[in-house]
Amino acid sequence: MTIRTRLAIATGASAVLVALVTVAGQNQSSDTKAAAPAANWTPPRTPDGQPDIQGMWTNYTNTPFEVFDESDKPDFYGGDVDGKGAGTGPGFIADTFGRKLSKGRSLVVDPPSGRVPIMEWAEKQRDYRLLHIQDDWVNFTPWERCITRGVPGGIFPPGYGAGYQILQGPGYVAIIYEMIHEARIIPVDGRPHLHSSFKLWNGDSRGRWEGNTLVVDVTNYNDKGNVATNIATQRVRSIPQSEALHVVERFTRVDEKTINYEVTIEDPKVFTAPWKVAMPLNLEPDYKIFEYACHEGNHAVPNTLSAGRAQDRGGRASRSQ
Amino acid sequence: MSPRLLLALVATGSLVVATPVPAIAHHAFAAEFDGSKPVTLKGKVTRMEWINPHAWLYLDVSMPNGKVVNWGVEGGAPNALLRRGWNRNSVLPGTEITVEGFRAKDGSNRANGRQVILPDGKKLFIGSSGTGAPLDGRDPTEAKK
Repeated sequence: MTIRTRLAIATGASAVLVALVTVAGQNQSSDTKAAAPAANWTPPRTPDGQPDIQGMWTNYTNTPFEVFDESDKPDFYGGDVDGKGAGTGPGFIADTFGRKLSKGRSLVVDPPSGRVPIMEWAEKQRDYRLLHIQDDWVNFTPWERCITRGVPGGIFPPGYGAGYQILQGPGYVAIIYEMIHEARIIPVDGRPHLHSSFKLWNGDSRGRWEGNTLVVDVTNYNDKGNVATNIATQRVRSIPQSEALHVVERFTRVDEKTINYEVTIEDPKVFTAPWKVAMPLNLEPDYKIFEYACHEGNHAVPNTLSAGRAQDRGGRASRSQ
Repeated sequence: MSPRLLLALVATGSLVVATPVPAIAHHAFAAEFDGSKPVTLKGKVTRMEWINPHAWLYLDVSMPNGKVVNWGVEGGAPNALLRRGWNRNSVLPGTEITVEGFRAKDGSNRANGRQVILPDGKKLFIGSSGTGAPLDGRDPTEAKK
């Protein structure tokens, strides 16, 4: 599917389509391939000497998260609780807002297969929770519950709200995520991780600079979250995180307009091997982050549960997984 | 023209099945709404809630029994609607509109919106997770892909 960013307006009875694509400053190309470092480009420095990665960045993309496999169940991963093949609903729009998006092989670059090495128990837990989402709020992902999209899940591209503002101050790097209204404040002053008794939804981030690369080491996770929450992550959506999760992110500004982002994820209780995602973040200085106060009106949770109760009263067939 | 319910519950077996492309859902459409129950609502806007994670549009609809019922229609996230061209004046209270969408599974007067048709015939795509996108083939008056 190509760009679906037009707001179709049919004027009068003639129903003539007019493309309304003019979203100020957002029509540039947005290549999803990792960029090669520019040969003669040196990143600027902040006043305190850090490589300067500040700016407004986006990562809209048409690249699938994993390489597709015939055993995949895309409708199911999209929430098809009835098995009608309509998990994500009839028709779909990816709000790319006028960008020209390239489509690469997969965001997962390691293992080379482009497939995340998920343990069988974790896939079973995902399946159960997706199938029984109408039965209990704990079966929703933390995004659906408006808690968090997680780390690193918060930077896995959603189809809208894919803006990230990076700000730096002495000893810190801050990242504001448009989706879902989250901010990370990452110390880069050499302090150690929190004591292991602290368990957090998004873990404890500690950054350091290796040359021009910001390396962020994330530990101290709780076991309540998910590695990925949005439907674009398909098979990995709703896969649990354990307290053993260890994430290492690398942000490298390779030219004025591009940060190469890489993240290595290891969780020996959930995955049989570490795996890695790589993608560019593209500079969009005119992009505006809108407030996304997710819990403001999250009717989806009670409405989904009430849909399940209504179906129970109507004699919904028992579900087996 | 008084508000009226145009069409409800047109069962169809011809749903457009989603393919594994990047998807935008905050939540699963099918857990809450029934893709086999499209509904067309016609009535006057009572309010538009620009709330996250999904905007909600409310309108008074005259049901077949003559009773006026307030329906709620789930739309996309405010930031997505704004970027598609919506603004605070797009559907002011009192505006006579037609909404195409899909009914809630719990039987309440709620729907997941696909598009809003304004009095002058203009169409605004309000879709959130899993509603038909422009050019998805459902509207014969739209140009083909």
